[in-house]
Amino acid sequence: MHFKAIVQTLSLCFFFVLLWLASFPLPAWIPVDFFLRLDPLVFLGTLISAREWIWSLVPGLAILGLTLVMGRFFCAYICPMGITIDLSDRFFRPRNQNRTPADPDNKTGLRKIKYFILFFILGSAVFSISSVFLASPLSLITRFYGLVIYPAVVLAGDTALDILLPFNLMLGLEKMAYVELQSYRFATQWFIIIFFIAVFGLVYYKPRFWCRYLCPSGALMALMSKRPLIRRTVSKNCTDCGICRKKCPMGAIDEDPFNTFNQECIVCETCVRVCPERAIRFGLDRSEKTYRFGEFMPARRELMASALSGAGAAILVHTGIGGAKSDLLPGNILPDSLIRPPGALLEQDFQSRCIGCGLCMKACPTNTLQPVWFEAGLGGMFSPKVLPRRGPCDPLCNVCGLVCPTKALRPLSLGEKMWAKIGTSSVIKHKCLAWEWKRECLVCFEVCPYAAIDLRRVPEVPVPVPFIVQHKCSGCGACEYHCPVQGSSAIVVEPMEAIRMNMGSYIEKGRSIGLELEADPDRQRKPPEYLFDPDDPDELPPGFIF
Amino acid sequence: MNKNKDNSSGIFREYYSVTRRDFLKKQGQAALFAAAAAKAGFIFPRKTFADQVPDIAVARGGPAEATMAAVELLGGMEAFVKSGNKVVIKPNMSFAHPPERATNTHPDVIRTLSEMCINAEAASVMILDNPLQGPELCIERSGIEEACRLVPRTSVRTLTSRRFFDKVSLDQGQSFKETEVMRDVLDADVLIAAPVAKSHSATGVSLSMKGMMGLIRDRGIMHRRFNLSSAIVDLCTFLKADLTVIDATRVLASHGPFGPGEVIMADRVIASVDMVAADAMVIDMFPWYGRDIMPRQVAHVLEAHERGLGRMDLENLVVKMVTA
Repeated sequence: MHFKAIVQTLSLCFFFVLLWLASFPLPAWIPVDFFLRLDPLVFLGTLISAREWIWSLVPGLAILGLTLVMGRFFCAYICPMGITIDLSDRFFRPRNQNRTPADPDNKTGLRKIKYFILFFILGSAVFSISSVFLASPLSLITRFYGLVIYPAVVLAGDTALDILLPFNLMLGLEKMAYVELQSYRFATQWFIIIFFIAVFGLVYYKPRFWCRYLCPSGALMALMSKRPLIRRTVSKNCTDCGICRKKCPMGAIDEDPFNTFNQECIVCETCVRVCPERAIRFGLDRSEKTYRFGEFMPARRELMASALSGAGAAILVHTGIGGAKSDLLPGNILPDSLIRPPGALLEQDFQSRCIGCGLCMKACPTNTLQPVWFEAGLGGMFSPKVLPRRGPCDPLCNVCGLVCPTKALRPLSLGEKMWAKIGTSSVIKHKCLAWEWKRECLVCFEVCPYAAIDLRRVPEVPVPVPFIVQHKCSGCGACEYHCPVQGSSAIVVEPMEAIRMNMGSYIEKGRSIGLELEADPDRQRKPPEYLFDPDDPDELPPGFIF
Repeated sequence: MNKNKDNSSGIFREYYSVTRRDFLKKQGQAALFAAAAAKAGFIFPRKTFADQVPDIAVARGGPAEATMAAVELLGGMEAFVKSGNKVVIKPNMSFAHPPERATNTHPDVIRTLSEMCINAEAASVMILDNPLQGPELCIERSGIEEACRLVPRTSVRTLTSRRFFDKVSLDQGQSFKETEVMRDVLDADVLIAAPVAKSHSATGVSLSMKGMMGLIRDRGIMHRRFNLSSAIVDLCTFLKADLTVIDATRVLASHGPFGPGEVIMADRVIASVDMVAADAMVIDMFPWYGRDIMPRQVAHVLEAHERGLGRMDLENLVVKMVTA
């Protein structure tokens, strides 16, 4: 293995480890969103659309700075998307074929696309619409591994445990036999997988098709790497055999092999390894040679057009009916089902920051966080929502806010998080087993970690029935999740009275508006009022019959 | 009714003292009843029938001693567990609560039972439940795993995945006729029900019969589709414990199954071969919400009795009491 392969393997493994560690309980010693923070586009796009300096994203800026010195090394050595695409190269590239026939596309405008995408994203960011989720490589690849591959791996593991159960028992491997894996299910998977099949399949035409033509982060770094300090230099030993040009995965070598398109070069040093004359090295270039560059740079007016179309798209998102998000305009057409995770900023600001990477969803221990598709409008694709029917929001977990790289979800202490009300429950009486079916069902009452459900006796119903104590309900959805009614639950959380704040304490806010959100998952709380009159011989304690 | 919210702790104390009084009163009644019964010849003199195995054994003492004493009254664990048997014990460990909450079986009761099984040369003892709260936390906070750590050939497990369950038909079920039961339970030679004594807001009490719901996969259907009490009886026609040991060292006499409610420190362990009789005895012994409740006032116990699953007519059963 050569240097690049070793670094790539380490990078990808490190990415996997961090992704795996993004779970509950969250390790405190390592930032699991580290790779996302390295993406220069996540830094710049979020900076512009959020209009705020976000310190945690500074590594992306550092990568941009390093690009001035070392060129686009990030693409070859660190980017998990690039490394995954290199892997896919082995499956999708035709074998025994001249790997890169002399690049006809060097003359075409295909390479400009990535700049168009970049400027489109930046243009929309100016109007506070984050379309970073569309094409940021780290956002895409985190989503791919977190929401598609991870659940598949867990499922495969579970199936293996199923098959191995008798053998494990026979061999006395009790630990193995009885292990249970937490299973994950996600929405929007099909879109993600089809997108990635396309990205991987395109290497059939060109290696690193995505990186060459489409990646906006790559484009951003390309802008910084016209003449990096350390760059490819060719000595006089060159015999002009052209092998380097054929093997270059980025098509970054000119027909004149002395000339390098530095913006396209990702410093993978393939050329160094394949050169029979050992004529190529990467280092300081002292030659006074003039370079032809900027060939793949679109004209200024083309970039303007891209930025303007991004801005136009952003304006359309704002002026579309989906833009009525209640923060800025009167009226709110967001659906009842759009329950944002605890600590989500005001919807407008939340959407300007969320890059749809899916890390919060991967990390959520109850799998309640799901990517939305069009529910939140075009600007909100892949942003997280709470799906209580799948799982409740655990009052003792604050992982989603802690892993969010752009702070679209605020990192909250456990105490604050318990008060970060995400909605309010209500009973659908005509579905309720107690109200409608007159069954002694007390499941919602039993599972509510906030003691927000009261049981009362009402005339006409022979069993105690549930009532929501609104000021105690955090919207966690434990009731909706556990409700034994089939189909949609008989007790449903809606974003009603969710507390959305960009700063300040949820506890103070909650107290000031009369909430009581002291979670009590262990039920240390006082018992509810008696459900029967102990002095009345005609009444019995709950559950007994005459 | 508690109408003054701010004074609820006072009210709570008051209830506690009332139940305490009731409890003592009941104990007195029980003693009188026992004396009367002995006089009338219901309980035969020890001398003549020293080996008479009672229908119900009640032992007084700490969790470990009382458990041992109660089972000894029924002839010792050897009467139930033969050499090489696989044993499953079904405790209550559905809640991530410590023992003093009285929502889970006391860990020492479970440990003592496992040790007795192992001493009776059981091949393995599995302590199984399908908990309501997070499995790891339940196992840990209930103290059951820790207590059983050193008992050989014994494991404490919470099972939820489908691969651990097999479909069975409940042949004697009247409405609830089919369910998925833990395979380890189906494979076991001996099933021991070891619930804690607690009240239940839907079924009155949650004792050995109600506890069997922890061995199946889909409990929701019992709430949703069927009359819960009848479904419990249907389930118990299949999951009929060979031995029932009810932990009444602490009794959650109100606001079960979660609590917190009144916890009566009763220091009793009740054992029987008959689930229904054991449950009936516990219902009869303690005040529930401060009330005298008769076994027939618990719908699933009444139905189980009527369907011949067991007996709740305590007056016709032989009860032996012992202080451990």
